[in-house]
Amino acid sequence: MTDDAVLTVKDLSVTLDSLPVLQNVSFTLQQGEAFAVIGPNGAGKTVLFRALLGLLPRTGLVEWRPDVKIGYVPQRFSMDRSAPISAMEFFLLQSPNFWRPSAAFSSQLDQELKLMGLNRGVLRKGLGELSGGETQRVLIASALLQKPSVLLLDEPTAAVDAGFEETVYALLHRVQTERGTALLLISHDLSVVYRYAQRVLCLNKSVVCHGPPVEALNPQALATLYGEAGFYHHEH
Amino acid sequence: MQPPTHTSFWIALLVGIASGSVGPFILLRRMALVGDALSHVALPGIALALIYHFDPFYGVIAFLIAAAFLVFWLEGRSRVPPDAIVGLLFTASLAIGILMIPNADVIESLFGAFPVLSLPLLWAILVTAVVLSALCFVLAKRFLFLIVSPDLARVHGLGRGYDLALLLIFAMIVALGIKLVGTLLMGALTIIPASIAKNLAQSMRRYVILSAIFGGTISVAGVWLAESFRFLPGPAIVLLGVGLFVLSLPFARGKTA
Repeated sequence: MTDDAVLTVKDLSVTLDSLPVLQNVSFTLQQGEAFAVIGPNGAGKTVLFRALLGLLPRTGLVEWRPDVKIGYVPQRFSMDRSAPISAMEFFLLQSPNFWRPSAAFSSQLDQELKLMGLNRGVLRKGLGELSGGETQRVLIASALLQKPSVLLLDEPTAAVDAGFEETVYALLHRVQTERGTALLLISHDLSVVYRYAQRVLCLNKSVVCHGPPVEALNPQALATLYGEAGFYHHEH
Repeated sequence: MQPPTHTSFWIALLVGIASGSVGPFILLRRMALVGDALSHVALPGIALALIYHFDPFYGVIAFLIAAAFLVFWLEGRSRVPPDAIVGLLFTASLAIGILMIPNADVIESLFGAFPVLSLPLLWAILVTAVVLSALCFVLAKRFLFLIVSPDLARVHGLGRGYDLALLLIFAMIVALGIKLVGTLLMGALTIIPASIAKNLAQSMRRYVILSAIFGGTISVAGVWLAESFRFLPGPAIVLLGVGLFVLSLPFARGKTA
């Protein structure tokens, strides 16, 4: 492992129900960089994240830097929308005291809300009443409460209204530059990858391309990744 | 032996509060039906107790704890749909129980009665109810975490042990109330207060507190109704609760469930 690496992955493979879902994936994530994982549906992007987090059985090497603090931002909440759980209570899941949070916790929460451009009013809303953009920002703000050195984001704009995607990425970019947090994100938006990611990994069960976006995302790699039909007219 | 009325009021109050405390987590985990069926498993336990002349309470608690472990084990096996198996197994245990229990005791086993208990057993039930209610409040954050985002909870180090803890707390609370409310209806007592509170609460903390208050109130009022009008306590408690649930429906904030 090099000095600046927060995560080193070597020959990571995942097999689910005796089907190979990921094969021999290797990469490193450097301190403070934004690293994007792209690929078609079913390419194993979420499986990769879950394997990195130890939520799935895996083979190969996954080595996190020993002092690393991982913040994970899932795509959405799992409970049904009618559950009476307020946004404040979602944040309190990170608090040592759920029933009577300390003043220190509240002030840190204020700081993260501000960074995500949310006001305190959002805390009284039910989790099921939040808009897509609010949900995403609440999820990110909650992950930031732990002061993570790495943020794992699974398609952070999947449920966000068009036009708001830009804001989410701009906020994440701020977290990366102001706090030196490394971002490992799954994205489906190539323009975002070009603009914000220092490196990209193209995944379709195994690694198709890997490197800085301008070099790695060449027409040939994209054709292999998404199939030629998406990019070229077939000549019959 | 304690007078059945005093015994019933104390059990109703404290086991009612415990049922209300665990109910929200069972409901949000979408385990309402499994929970309801779980109480049926108590019946063969009661039957064995009646045949071999020991206090049915011990038969009930042994069978329910075994059932909690079984549900936990089934949930961990992703390829088996647990609902069907739980439904079949628990209904079968109901049938076996009915065949084994002497006719004179069937109604009481199914629908509850004013229990006659020795003082030590009554104290054991009441103290356990208080401890289990307190555990629900202490573990609320962890249970909630696993409901809101199981993946995130696992990343924060919350393992499946908490799923088992919730099932065991639930099974024990059901066991505590079965003498009063009956094997068929005790599962419902854990679901009803939580269902009413869900219509009224805006936050999880209020939800759990309201549900606990409703659990205690409905059970005590049900016992009082049953005593005044010579009903069985189980059906009186459950019907009162369902009535309150209907009254609470207009307060549901335009929610879907």
